[in-house]
Amino acid sequence: MTATAAPYPDSARPTGLPPAEAAPKAPPPPGLAIAAPLPDVIPVRKRRGRVSTYMRRNPTIVVGGLLLLIVFLMAVLAPWLGTVDPTALAPAKRTRVPSAQYWFGTDMLGRDVYSRVVYGARVSLLVGFSVAFLASIAGLAVGLVSGMVRWLDGIVMRVVDGMMSIPPILLAVALMALTRGSVQNVIIAITIAEIPRVARLVRGVVLSLREQPYVEAAVTTGTRMPAIIWRHILPNTLAPMTVQATYICASAMITEAILSFIGAGVPPSTPSWGNIMAEGRALWQVKFYIILFPAIFLSMTVLAVNLVGDGLRDALDPRMAKDV
Amino acid sequence: MLGYIGRRILATIPVMAVVGLFVFSLLYFAPGDPAAIIAGDQATPDDVARIRATLGLDRPFLVRFWEWSWQILHGDLGTSIFTNLPVTTMIGQRVQPTVSLMLVTLVFAIVVAVPLGVVAAWKAGSLIDRLVMGLAVMGFSVPVFVVGYVLAYVFALELGWLPVQGYTPIEQGLWPWLANLILPAVTLGLVYIALIARVTRATMLDVLSQDYVRTARAKGLSQGPVLFIHALKNAAVPIVTVIGIGIALLIGGAVVTETVFAIPGLGRLTVDAILRRDYPVIQGVVLLFSFVYVLVNLAIDLSYTLLDPRIRY
Amino acid sequence: MHRRTFLKGSAALGLAAPQIARPALAQGAKVLRFVPQANLANFDPIWGTQYVVRNAGTLVWDMLYGVDAQLNPQRQMVESEEVSGDKLTWTFRLRPGLTWHDGEPVQAKDVVASLTRWMARDPIGQMIRGIQDELAATDDRTFRWRLKKPFPKLLYALGKTNAPMALMMPERIAKTDPFTQITEYVGSGPMKFVRNEWVPGARAVFETFAGYKPRDEPNSWLAGGKRMLVDRVEWVIMPDAATASAALQNGEVDWWENPISDLVPLLRKNANLNVDIADPLGNVGSFRMNHLHPPFDNPKIRQAVMTAMSQEDYMRAIVGDDDSLWKKLPGFFTPGTPLYSEAGGANVGKGDIALGRKLLKEAGYKGEPVTCIVAQDQGITKAQGDITADLLKQMGFNVDFVATDWGTTGTRRTSKAPPSQGGWNMFHTWHAGADTINPAGYPAVRASGDKAWFGWPNIPPVETAIAEWFDAADLAAEKAAIDKVNAAAIEGVVYVPTGFFLGYQSWRKNVSGIVKGPIPFTWGVSKA
Repeated sequence: MTATAAPYPDSARPTGLPPAEAAPKAPPPPGLAIAAPLPDVIPVRKRRGRVSTYMRRNPTIVVGGLLLLIVFLMAVLAPWLGTVDPTALAPAKRTRVPSAQYWFGTDMLGRDVYSRVVYGARVSLLVGFSVAFLASIAGLAVGLVSGMVRWLDGIVMRVVDGMMSIPPILLAVALMALTRGSVQNVIIAITIAEIPRVARLVRGVVLSLREQPYVEAAVTTGTRMPAIIWRHILPNTLAPMTVQATYICASAMITEAILSFIGAGVPPSTPSWGNIMAEGRALWQVKFYIILFPAIFLSMTVLAVNLVGDGLRDALDPRMAKDV
Repeated sequence: MLGYIGRRILATIPVMAVVGLFVFSLLYFAPGDPAAIIAGDQATPDDVARIRATLGLDRPFLVRFWEWSWQILHGDLGTSIFTNLPVTTMIGQRVQPTVSLMLVTLVFAIVVAVPLGVVAAWKAGSLIDRLVMGLAVMGFSVPVFVVGYVLAYVFALELGWLPVQGYTPIEQGLWPWLANLILPAVTLGLVYIALIARVTRATMLDVLSQDYVRTARAKGLSQGPVLFIHALKNAAVPIVTVIGIGIALLIGGAVVTETVFAIPGLGRLTVDAILRRDYPVIQGVVLLFSFVYVLVNLAIDLSYTLLDPRIRY
Repeated sequence: MHRRTFLKGSAALGLAAPQIARPALAQGAKVLRFVPQANLANFDPIWGTQYVVRNAGTLVWDMLYGVDAQLNPQRQMVESEEVSGDKLTWTFRLRPGLTWHDGEPVQAKDVVASLTRWMARDPIGQMIRGIQDELAATDDRTFRWRLKKPFPKLLYALGKTNAPMALMMPERIAKTDPFTQITEYVGSGPMKFVRNEWVPGARAVFETFAGYKPRDEPNSWLAGGKRMLVDRVEWVIMPDAATASAALQNGEVDWWENPISDLVPLLRKNANLNVDIADPLGNVGSFRMNHLHPPFDNPKIRQAVMTAMSQEDYMRAIVGDDDSLWKKLPGFFTPGTPLYSEAGGANVGKGDIALGRKLLKEAGYKGEPVTCIVAQDQGITKAQGDITADLLKQMGFNVDFVATDWGTTGTRRTSKAPPSQGGWNMFHTWHAGADTINPAGYPAVRASGDKAWFGWPNIPPVETAIAEWFDAADLAAEKAAIDKVNAAAIEGVVYVPTGFFLGYQSWRKNVSGIVKGPIPFTWGVSKA
């Protein structure tokens, strides 16, 4: 191997570095044959700067991710964060303002607001992530079927359009009217409301990919459908779906809060930020803290998810910056 | 072109049919016996059976769906279980406040968000841009009712500049009507503004990097006219699209805003109906909102030809 | 052009709805804006027993008799009455010059039809119907009621405040089937109902009826002259207490029927507002168990719950921190009234969970699930429901908490089916103190099995004692009978009283004439 046979085009060679051959060589020790060094095409990066460079270039993902991590830890470690049973009633100690004993005060039944807020993180995160995950899976399935199977496309898209015409909150509220309030039912209701959007998105990707030459080539050479989907289509849907999933997560958390606010969401026996605010809303003029703390945490979490979504979108595909 | 319009209008029919099917299924699958609810507390099982037969609750799904659809197409949305008034009457009584709220919010949001987005795009990367986009993300993140309570507390209770609740019909004066709608419109519009500002900025950025903008600048046009006349016109299509799609946000948010500010509109009607399981009213309102949403987006679709001469059908 | 016409068209469409237009008010018209306790969703005070419907009903319809603040029935629409020597025949003569809102004169046949409809729905009315021989109009202003047995409480029944009140309607409306709602709201009361401005869930409007002839006597509750001192009353339905409170403070409404006690300190601080007790007769909180199905078909299990519960917890949850607003209630009758009794009440509400658990084990609880219905949209039932759920869990019950709304509760509680098939084990409610003074008009204390109120308690000693009360000749005999009723009802746990509590009302300082009572009486109220 001689240094002159540079395997890479010139433009890959970094400027400013001397070509390897021009470096003065020390005489080799006797009896030892040393291979000529490979050309330095890519400079070795200093490891130290990597993390801070990443942080500088993608502040949104980092901030959002950190916030989200904090909330996640709060939810997981809830029993050890100085909380008491969030459903323990103590009517004799109702509506106490925040103090050393009750960090966020107590609500109108004497329950500790701090504990309820910390445990409430579990519900909001559960609802957010479950809806995002379930809606993505279901939407993926529907979108794939609709995109790949032509004769189903028309029907499925009409149904999806129909569902999308119903404003999502109304849809979720109407579905909740059919059943009893519970975390499970809230998740199902919001998921159903969010599936159409994912389905549309996936179908769009599938349709555009179907026309690509490599997909046509795969079809021509007899590759079966599942393989095509797995190898060519799924990887391309992953990026937009992930971004969409984060937005669905954020939207689901807010929808849960709204559902609880109007009384159609999670019942108060399970604290969720939405229903803590709903219960405290009659007293907002005198005991604003009951609404304030869950509102701060909810906003913070939704903000974090939105930031992560924005960051992912910018990182994964800058061309998507103009899509909603 | 007319053919396109005709086809688009026809395309809304299956969409509305799906909505109708969903809405009808609500009553069909609802737990509890509507006949028992209508019969009342003291009714005997015979009374209930009599009412079941009168309402035709024993017939198969498709038959009832067909009859119900026929009824809807003739403008009869059924009768409320709790008030015994026709649903159309109940909706008619509440249309004005909601439409007023939506219009004021729409105007307010567009007037604020579009310039904000444009400025953010113009000064992309600067402090203003980051500030606007930061505010936009926060606008998405704070729940609607929290914003409402905070605004009501500051502007209505503490400062006393605006009324804290209620709705005044426009016949009683323009300012009273507007005064009751300012706080709700700001509350409702915040999310909408965030959405529109983001999309405006993104679209403007895209447009501003196009060659024809550079040509215009090269021709010597100053920043102002270049931005607003040439660029905005080209950015109009996605912006108007998102305004249309975002109306779903408005409708959803109106439900909460009307509750916080005690506006006697369709949103509150929906909430009350949901809590009481007044299915005919729920059906009527969902149908109506969906229909309006479909119409608005249809109108926006059709308006593309006006906005962008390059789009021809 | 398309854009503009579209926008203009939609704007015109929305703003042109005439129904919500308010008429131009005459200069100086006095309008009283009142926030009622709940939404006026329907308006048939005979068909529905909701308090809010009854309260609105008193404005539009008048009665033959009306109780005064001492709960003695006084003549209202009746000019004179006569009882035969054997006390079996009552002859009533109506006052001259009474007219309906549409101008027609009030006639005895209207009264007969109204009473017939009322008797079909009212428990005391049903008792009267059971001993009725004949009820007929003898001429335009006279009607006669012949009974088979004497009924000393007849006038009280006609003038009582508990729903359904004996309100008088024109014959054509009164002929509506008692189990179907009326659709026309015409009465002879001091106010007319302005039907085309009614927006259920948002607003109800009443206008003073110029043709009303108030009596000469001074007014006291439902008795005496009902003089309207304002021209128009608007009921503004508020979605929540916070909005109502803000509106009252801002002067956007004038009078709030039931501010929640947590907001009362805020209202008291406001220099423009008055705050006072709404009804000295207060309220009795309650939860009822279903005697038909396990586990509460076992009286010992019922008693275990009644003993273990803490009335203080319930009351604090409902009224907050103000101790002057609640009292323990070891019984079923209104404190402060002549028939109040604590007989047998030693074991009610001891607040001892450990004791409750022991009693539960002794009673042989086998772990059956308890389906507990809690209406979330009524502050009182929601607060009680939360306390109950906690109580039952701590006692070791297997609780199935069903969070629903007041309307659904109203329907579900009528079901006698097993809880797993749409029935129930427990639901929460409350009664106005005016309704729990004595067994007349108090269906919730009856224990006649199938014919009793929801829960269907079947406790013969209670019924015997109630019959004794109806036949009691004097107050001493009545008290003795009520003591027996109380003790027997506690023993069998007809329902569990959670305590006695008072509520507030609040009004702006420029409004005067507001009195304390079971109904927000609007006559005599004026606005400066």
